[in-house]
Amino acid sequence: MKTYSYYKIIIIGIFLFLSACTPVKPWQRGNLASPQMALETDFQEAGLRQHTFSSKESATGGYGGAGGGCGCN
Amino acid sequence: MSLINKLTLAALALPGLLVEEAQAGRVEELYHTDFQYAHYEESNDRMSVDVFEITAVAPIGKNITASVDLVRDTMSGASPILNTKNAQGKVEQFISGASIYEQRDSMGVSLSYAFDDIDINIGGGVSGEHDYLSRYLSTGASWAFNDKLTTLNISGSVAFDEITPSDQPDVKRSKTSQQYLLGITQILNKNSLLQSNITFAYHKGYLSDPYKLVYVENIGTLADSRPTHKFQWAWLTRYVQSFKTLNKAALHADYRLYIDDWGINAHTLELSWHQPIKDDWLIIPRFRYYTQNSANFYQAVFDSSYTGNIHSSDYRLTGFGTLGVGIKLTKSFHLTGFISEIKLQTAFDYNDRKASYQIGGDSSGSFDDFSFYMLTASINMRF
Repeated sequence: MKTYSYYKIIIIGIFLFLSACTPVKPWQRGNLASPQMALETDFQEAGLRQHTFSSKESATGGYGGAGGGCGCN
Repeated sequence: MSLINKLTLAALALPGLLVEEAQAGRVEELYHTDFQYAHYEESNDRMSVDVFEITAVAPIGKNITASVDLVRDTMSGASPILNTKNAQGKVEQFISGASIYEQRDSMGVSLSYAFDDIDINIGGGVSGEHDYLSRYLSTGASWAFNDKLTTLNISGSVAFDEITPSDQPDVKRSKTSQQYLLGITQILNKNSLLQSNITFAYHKGYLSDPYKLVYVENIGTLADSRPTHKFQWAWLTRYVQSFKTLNKAALHADYRLYIDDWGINAHTLELSWHQPIKDDWLIIPRFRYYTQNSANFYQAVFDSSYTGNIHSSDYRLTGFGTLGVGIKLTKSFHLTGFISEIKLQTAFDYNDRKASYQIGGDSSGSFDDFSFYMLTASINMRF
């Protein structure tokens, strides 16, 4: 039942994703180019936060990238 | 290069991976060096960590970008070892005492090559502590298509870890980890974009914690003993929306679903608001919520009838939730000399981890609740 719910979420997500896209010409991308619109605005801090949370919580992944493991307490 | 082209390339720089990687069709045009300091501290005199990090990125010719990253963590304090029950039958956590002092040094390097629409990259690194050594390799590619509105990301990494517990210097244990990512980044319209990544990870080998114990009532303690395989699946979706009328403020919303075959499901929600103020000041309030349920083989304390051989009482494998709030300030200076830009950043984040914050409610009680804060400061320079 739980797996079925996840599939529903994925299908709804893909549908929303595809229906939301509109053509954007290069000269219309000025807003998207502002630094605060980057998906990752601070790589070092993002890496540190992911490292910290993954050493205190079970969940990890999604963001990709590789890094050394640790014997974190 | 025209302004439009520069804007287009900048818009296409949709970084999605933690390791700084050039995106399809783009090579870093400037040298840059980033220094970061962070202080992490847990409540109740538990762990505190100081982090120093330096990253340098350099373009090589027209198509290649090289980067190197060095990190030193110094950790000290105390950590939970096991849980027991007091005379009233209530679970209590036993902490190690302020006996832990550890240093971790890590180095990572990466190279990326930009073709017109495709970027490829390779990287590797090593991370070492007195009792832990990790080596990793990674590779990835990104492909921009659909008039560069869509970027497909694919990457893989493998890590080889060795653990030599302090109290058993002759015992060397190892594990290998593989992680694969498939992701897509899509410009939705002129004010918003979306990224969706799926990662699969598989770990094999010694996945227990040599410093943790479990307590079996009326019998005594056993070493932490977890399965020797672990499969993890994570689906992350990130949405960024620009608000042009609010001085081009941006809302960032991330949601991650996580499932592993140890029985843990977790949800992570992160929201941040990036508000530009005048004179290149930016203020970023942020919020984070995390919840997980407990692993199949977790119990706070095992009762006297327990006879199994897979068990753990690690506080990271129980059900709990974490609420986090933070604020970040950044200020950029645009210069005309050897250094073209300096950016100063500082942030403070407070996280409260409580059993009662969990969605689902299979936690084992509030005995291992704690909080932690993190203070970071960084200076980024472009040459």
